[in-house]
Amino acid sequence: MKNLITVEDLIIKSVEELDEEKVIRLASKALKAGMEPLFLLDLIKEGVKRVGKLYEDQKYFIADLIMAGLIFKEVLELEEMKVQFRRRNSKILGRVIVGTVKGDLHDIGKDIFKGLMEVNGFEAVDLGVDVSKEVFAQGVIKYKPDIVGLSGVLTSTIDSMKEIVDTLVDAGVRNDVKIILGGSHLTKEACDYIGADCYANDASAGVKLCKQMLGKI
Amino acid sequence: MTDVKALQQERISIYHDVYDDKIPKRVPVNISLPFEVIAQFGGLDLCEAQWNPAIIEEAVDKICQTVYSDVCVFMGSFRYPSFYQILKSQSFQMASNGFIQHPEVTGMLPEDYDYLIEKPYDCLLERVIPRQYKAFNPDDPINCAINFAKSILAFNNDFMQSGMIINKMEEKYGYYPGGLLSGGFTEAPFDFLSDQLRGFKGISMDIRRMPEKVAAACDALYPIVFKMGLPPIISNYTQVFIPLHMPPFMREKDFAKLYWPSFKRLLDEYASMGIHCTIFCEHDWTRYLDYLYELPTDTTLWFEYGDPKLIKEKLGKKHIITGLYPVMNLKTKTKEQCVEEVKRYIDILAPGGKYIFNFDKSPLLFSDIKLECLCAVAETVRDYAVYSNAGETAGMVFNKADYKVEPSRNLESKYYKTWEQYKALNPEVSDFGRPKLQNLEETIFHYLMFLLV
Repeated sequence: MKNLITVEDLIIKSVEELDEEKVIRLASKALKAGMEPLFLLDLIKEGVKRVGKLYEDQKYFIADLIMAGLIFKEVLELEEMKVQFRRRNSKILGRVIVGTVKGDLHDIGKDIFKGLMEVNGFEAVDLGVDVSKEVFAQGVIKYKPDIVGLSGVLTSTIDSMKEIVDTLVDAGVRNDVKIILGGSHLTKEACDYIGADCYANDASAGVKLCKQMLGKI
Repeated sequence: MTDVKALQQERISIYHDVYDDKIPKRVPVNISLPFEVIAQFGGLDLCEAQWNPAIIEEAVDKICQTVYSDVCVFMGSFRYPSFYQILKSQSFQMASNGFIQHPEVTGMLPEDYDYLIEKPYDCLLERVIPRQYKAFNPDDPINCAINFAKSILAFNNDFMQSGMIINKMEEKYGYYPGGLLSGGFTEAPFDFLSDQLRGFKGISMDIRRMPEKVAAACDALYPIVFKMGLPPIISNYTQVFIPLHMPPFMREKDFAKLYWPSFKRLLDEYASMGIHCTIFCEHDWTRYLDYLYELPTDTTLWFEYGDPKLIKEKLGKKHIITGLYPVMNLKTKTKEQCVEEVKRYIDILAPGGKYIFNFDKSPLLFSDIKLECLCAVAETVRDYAVYSNAGETAGMVFNKADYKVEPSRNLESKYYKTWEQYKALNPEVSDFGRPKLQNLEETIFHYLMFLLV
């Protein structure tokens, strides 16, 4: 029992320290020793949450968040985890579709947000970059998400975001979803102008808002 | 002397005073707007104007008459679609709204590190450029040569057209002929490695997975970025422009170990030759102010974010400060508020000299700014930021003898030949050919490396 506790702590700590090699080694070993994949997943999530906290405290930066996302993905790629996830994928907090809006090709913020959403139990569908209002509307109809995430870096994306929200209104699906905007240039005024439900200047704040919107925290 | 010439003389002297560590007559107004903003101001189709830069001239002339600045209000552009299209660029693409952007790309794979460290220039030409530019395909050598030749002709044509417009405006309106893109341009070795070689995500992993290779790659790239930035003429007034990218996204520990050493050396080596740099500190550099202090005296620090008081206090006696005033104000505030705000910045940043007015960043769209606010801010700086102690010494004085750096290793590659190497291979060639052939060698080097920044 004592050993098990140590392994759990070690896994969390090595995720927190972004020690990729150690995480994979410990995770593989734990799975082979019979650890439940979902239990392991919780440990990894706890580690990633701590990374998020370090990011909020400005001890870690975006490069570190990217690395945390990568470690998380690698753990999910372990054979035992893949089997588990094929069988049980019903325990999701919600579904989100994300995309960088028309006129913008930047994808780093969107990808970090998507990765963090997945870590936090959301299913995420990625529509890509330079995504038109039509594709967003079709995405909402096809995937029936709980949340639509509009991402952008350029200041010009404010108008694109507004057009997308307007199109969702015209398509009669605006009230079926919550809309979150992501981008460092966004403000309360911009969010009101666009007609979204909320906005975030960085990915981890965005995840919190998504949970709040769905009443999960 | 005509009024225009007299004005140009005044502008030259205020800039030169700043660079010569003197208090100028007034703070230089360094406002220049990007190609896209002026195209929109002129009601031009952005896509058409970028394919045919000559058509922007009328709009440029009009904006120069409208907005006060001591440098040409038209910045020109770094990115035209012609050469990127011809070479089928993966890293610079036009989005649906006509903006050329830089998507996240990976030109170099982790397994390329060893080759990059051993033969950096060969690796860039053989592996990285073909990945980023699909029409630069060594497996199709004749088309590769044709595409490359077409692209460099397009590059020369487009830059010449916009350069001619700038020159014309400088003559017509008496601007200071030293805009941002008039000297050298390069990147810090780490940013060069991050931006188009490994990409943001790739480098984030490498920092953790193979930091020693990242450090060795920065050292290997050093002679290339050093050579790339060298201005054609060295004087106290030419600047090498270096936009900095990754540090705000890194931990200080990684920055200190991987980013800073080769970057600091770059500026020190330039300083030892009497060359100054303007560095754009993208995003928030507050936690790196002590590092910035260590850079050579009179480095121009262009800040995007930060507390002006703290920056002036910590760095203002040694370095030239610019930026900080939020361009967003020009959209969100009234004219009166903008003017009040700019006076506040001037009151903090101008005393003691070593200050050039500029915005925190360039606006992206014409709709990002209210023209009346822009004009009011520019004119306020011109009229309000006037010194009563012009001619006095401003802060610390630059002395190139203070900077001693071991000369960097030369660029060595089978794809680049010095005149001596060329002559050894072609002993029959006349020495009369030297300037021309060597100049072509340099031109090709600069163009190839431009494709990767």
